[in-house]
Amino acid sequence: MSTIDYTRELSVLEGKHALRELDDLIAKPLETKPDKKFYIALSITLSMTGLFVLGLALTFYYGIGMWGNNIPVAWAFDIVNFVFWIGIGHAGTLISAILFLFRQKWRTGISRFAEGMTIFAVMTAGLFPLIHLGRPWLSGYLFPYPNQHSVWVNFTSPLLWDVFAVSTYLIVSLIFWYVGLIPDLASLRERTEHKIKKVIYSVFSLGWRFSNRHWHHYEMVYLILAGFATPLVLSVHTIVSFDFAVSVIPGWHTTIFPPYFVAGAVFSGFAMVQNVLIIVRKIFNYEHIITVDTLEKMNKIMLLTGSMIGYAYAMEFFIAWYSGVEAERFAFLNRAMGPYAWAYWIMVTCNVVSPQLFWFKKIRRTIPVMFVIAIFVNIGMWFERFVIIVTSLSRDFLPSSWAYYKPTLVDGMILIGSFGFFFTWILLFTKALPVISMAEVKAVVDGAQPSHKDH
Amino acid sequence: MTGEKILYSYTGIFDTPDEVTHAAEEAVKQGYTKFDVNSPYPLHGMNKAMNLPASKLGYVALIFGLSGALGALLSLWWVSAVDYPLVIGGKPFFSFPAYIPVIFEVTVLSAAIATVLAMLFFFFKLPNNAHPLHATDYMKKVSADKYGIVIQAEDPKFDESSIRKFLESVHAKEINAVYWAEEEITHKHKIFEPKFLTFLLVVVIITSGTTYFTLNKLMFMLPFNWMMEQQKQNPQQKSLVFADGHGMRQPVEGTIARGFLPYEFKGQPDLAGERLVNPIPVSKESLQLGQTKFDIYCSPCHGYHGEGDSRLRGQFPNSPSLHSEKVRTWSDGRIFAVLTEGQNVMPSYTTQLTVDERWAVINYVRALQRALNAKESDLQ
Amino acid sequence: MISSSVEYQKKELPSKVQTIGLGLLLVGLLIVVLGYLVNPERSAYNNIIGLTFLISIAVGSLFFVAIEFLSGAVWSTPFRRVGEFLSSTVWVLPLLFIPLLLNVNTIFHWTHPAPADKTLIDKAPYLNVNFFIIRVIVFWLVWLLFYYLIIKNSRKQDQTKDQYLTKKNIKLSAIFMPLFAITISFTAIDWLMSIEPHWFSTILGVYYFSGTILAALAVGAIFIVLLNERGFFVKGIHTDSYYSLGALIFAFTNFWAYIAFSQFLLIWYANLPEETFWFLARWEGNWKFFSVGLIIVHFLVPYVGLLSQPSKMNPKRLLFMSGWILFAHYYDLYWLVMPNFFKEGIPFSWIELGFPILIAGLIILVFYYQAKKNNLVPIGDPKLKRGIDFRL
Repeated sequence: MSTIDYTRELSVLEGKHALRELDDLIAKPLETKPDKKFYIALSITLSMTGLFVLGLALTFYYGIGMWGNNIPVAWAFDIVNFVFWIGIGHAGTLISAILFLFRQKWRTGISRFAEGMTIFAVMTAGLFPLIHLGRPWLSGYLFPYPNQHSVWVNFTSPLLWDVFAVSTYLIVSLIFWYVGLIPDLASLRERTEHKIKKVIYSVFSLGWRFSNRHWHHYEMVYLILAGFATPLVLSVHTIVSFDFAVSVIPGWHTTIFPPYFVAGAVFSGFAMVQNVLIIVRKIFNYEHIITVDTLEKMNKIMLLTGSMIGYAYAMEFFIAWYSGVEAERFAFLNRAMGPYAWAYWIMVTCNVVSPQLFWFKKIRRTIPVMFVIAIFVNIGMWFERFVIIVTSLSRDFLPSSWAYYKPTLVDGMILIGSFGFFFTWILLFTKALPVISMAEVKAVVDGAQPSHKDH
Repeated sequence: MTGEKILYSYTGIFDTPDEVTHAAEEAVKQGYTKFDVNSPYPLHGMNKAMNLPASKLGYVALIFGLSGALGALLSLWWVSAVDYPLVIGGKPFFSFPAYIPVIFEVTVLSAAIATVLAMLFFFFKLPNNAHPLHATDYMKKVSADKYGIVIQAEDPKFDESSIRKFLESVHAKEINAVYWAEEEITHKHKIFEPKFLTFLLVVVIITSGTTYFTLNKLMFMLPFNWMMEQQKQNPQQKSLVFADGHGMRQPVEGTIARGFLPYEFKGQPDLAGERLVNPIPVSKESLQLGQTKFDIYCSPCHGYHGEGDSRLRGQFPNSPSLHSEKVRTWSDGRIFAVLTEGQNVMPSYTTQLTVDERWAVINYVRALQRALNAKESDLQ
Repeated sequence: MISSSVEYQKKELPSKVQTIGLGLLLVGLLIVVLGYLVNPERSAYNNIIGLTFLISIAVGSLFFVAIEFLSGAVWSTPFRRVGEFLSSTVWVLPLLFIPLLLNVNTIFHWTHPAPADKTLIDKAPYLNVNFFIIRVIVFWLVWLLFYYLIIKNSRKQDQTKDQYLTKKNIKLSAIFMPLFAITISFTAIDWLMSIEPHWFSTILGVYYFSGTILAALAVGAIFIVLLNERGFFVKGIHTDSYYSLGALIFAFTNFWAYIAFSQFLLIWYANLPEETFWFLARWEGNWKFFSVGLIIVHFLVPYVGLLSQPSKMNPKRLLFMSGWILFAHYYDLYWLVMPNFFKEGIPFSWIELGFPILIAGLIILVFYYQAKKNNLVPIGDPKLKRGIDFRL
């Protein structure tokens, strides 16, 4: 029997750390020149981004015909990628905001990085509604400004709700991220002797002085932002789910979509965050800050949300049968046994089966295994969106309208390229800003807070 | 730095959070109000130790959030039910459930932006990189791993001789004086500084210039104008295909339009009047059809009762009354000739009225004429 | 390393608690029995509401006990026993479902579908009397089993202070979770969705879950606040623990509203008659006002009442809002069930009062009985000291 002890609180960080040591460790990537590994990684992501630009250029020049979209499958990779990337973004806000509201101290090591990932993921996601328009330069019409047409945008359409939701999400995430950065930028300002860096840090830290009169308001605002960001993140993916659920298509119109999509977003987001963090902590020697305990907790969240996804699959299937509506029953049988069955079973294996391995503590704490499981989860969640969108569209009510969808090379270029775009931003981020929140991590070190004299 | 140095404050450094909390409590006990504690991260219980009132920023969030919600709701109502109502999906003009997502997003956005801006600009009075505590050793320490207390000279209880003793009594280390820098004293409102105003002006010019260029010029250049400038024949446009350059052509020789019936009396209206007979019997349907067509096509000039008192009266050469002796004695065929070929200012109506419709209109005109010139026998 | 033992003096609950509980129980029982004699169909519908309400409290409380073990939370440890005592009401659930199981044929339309109703006949593999009864009993047995196993370990720990019991409970809680999800969802489908057997909604299980969580939190909070203010728990439990309770209630109020709105918006938007008729029935006659009232009672009032930070820590406010939320949950179940019975307007008479009174009596009595036999504080729990010292 292992010596478990529930009487003591687990330390957030491993080992004893002097505060200055933490500062040095976190600021090191910013104070040193990039090494060869960085340039290799950057060249890979930039090549992928180049693929992205090429794919987009071909699309803009020749039109959406370069993609595999057809009638009836009018939405395919474009919207699958959109939902996928927005989902990735949700983990960041969940870690920063929701775990903050639950007072989970272990979030401090990972929140800055996760929020950064949110912003980059939302930027990547936001591109897709724009590029799938055919004439993307007219996308300004999505915003309800008074114009000479007199007609307004369709406020009752979930596609328009998306415009508001994604814009708000991007702006509020940026604000939240920036507010968290201010104290760290001020620390960096104090550390640096480099003239230009000092000016940049001074400007962006706004002259923050670490005054407790300011911390007082700062903490309240951080709580308010977290309190707003939580329903915001739920609302964004809910509105994305409305894109499908408000229709009448079997497989799309089902009331469980909103919480199911949100759970799925958190699930895939955490998988991506976990993957990237495992790499980051190794490269920058942050293993004592982003501990195996932290990774284990993230895996537990993946287990929880993965199980919610499994629940939703089962409930959808049951109610489709229960409803007695033939089109609904067919839609689900078609998913499992129709022409896209291969996609369906990849999805089920990756999403339902693989996270269940996290019931076992050993697997939760073994890094190579959890890394692979998270990759499977990412693949599975991409396929989930593919299954939902493509199978339901390719075979809906009228058999004479059924058609098979095949992606084109340009579709693939844009998919791979979007990863390049995303990872390029992350690489640049690691060298430009502290990827761990210096102030928050120092605040949860053992002995960082005054001991309680009962008041 | 030349000139007299003005004292800003005295500072002290501490190594542990407990010490600085104790120091803060003591400062409050001593009656100091213009003092502050600096730490690299927020310390639990410091607000209480410093006797700070609760932050009012929650109210900012509440007020701006509610205003955002109300503003969004009013805008959505006005746009959908007042300004340009459209029936979408069979739903009512004001569909409140559909507005909830947008209202929610706008609420969160307004509250978040307002709260953060209020915090930074009003509560903190940031940006401010010219504060006396900047670029001091004190700031370097409290931004990293030490805790500090700073008591301002402006505080009524401040006394330069006793301040050092007080700080020593709470076990502060590195007790130092901090002075205002020359520029900081003379620094006034940064908003109206010429450099900043120039910067604003440049931003305005660049933004408006770019917007003007993009919307009025760029959108009409290649490739953005591809949908506008299509390689198809538009009406009135010169044709590159036909020798005479006309894009709009006559129908091919020998073809006839659907429903076409030949008219042999071109230029001979009297002959048409003699030869043509109205094939449509006077019936309720015929009269109703005639009335509909008359009201559409004839009434603008002739008026609804054929008296020539039309809506165009005064703006156009007046048409004669259809109740004149001449018209009443004209045969149906003669009137048909007028409708087919036109007369004086009146154009031909072959493109607007089919042959049958013309006969129906004539039946209706007869009815109008009879109405204005009824015989006693009509009353039976 | 075992924590230094915390000072706990077991205080007896005043006997008037027993009197009140017994009184409510008898009055409620009288009304229920009379109701069944006078109008059995209406009483049966009220019975369904009462049953689903008590399941919410019993199984929801067990859920919270399990969640505490699974998540390793410490702030709730000092009063986890409240959840345990409340979850023992799972024993009395048969009192509420046996009369219904004996009357299945009169209550549920799917027991006798019209021959032309192909949709209903198609559902027979699931909606048939035998399978229904089996489900009800099996679910109850599952809840009973996990209640027994988890609570047994918790009680034992009072004596042995063995940390391994906590580990066992964590394992049991983990296994319980998916079973909880399934049983609660299908309870909702069986009792709340099949009374209108032509209607369907994939989110109803989640909807009932959200109400369950709120009800369990609310009734727990009522007991916690009442007992803590009278010193029944260990000395030194801080208002920060009240804050956590208040914040959870606030959060789940929002969650309920989100689920309710999602369900409504999607059905309203797509406008499919096979789904909208259910909401239209709740807009007929008086039901219109009741439906709008649901939004106010279940969302607006608790939202405003628990929005500010101080309100979440105030014991009086917490007590009032918890009572309000219990009323709101009953209101919600009433809104789900009754329109199937009374299409023209809201039925309300003495019959409707029977089950709420009965259930209140049951809960109070069961709690009193449990508090008499067991410690109100899990004195052997290794996390207890940290729970008492808990500060935000």
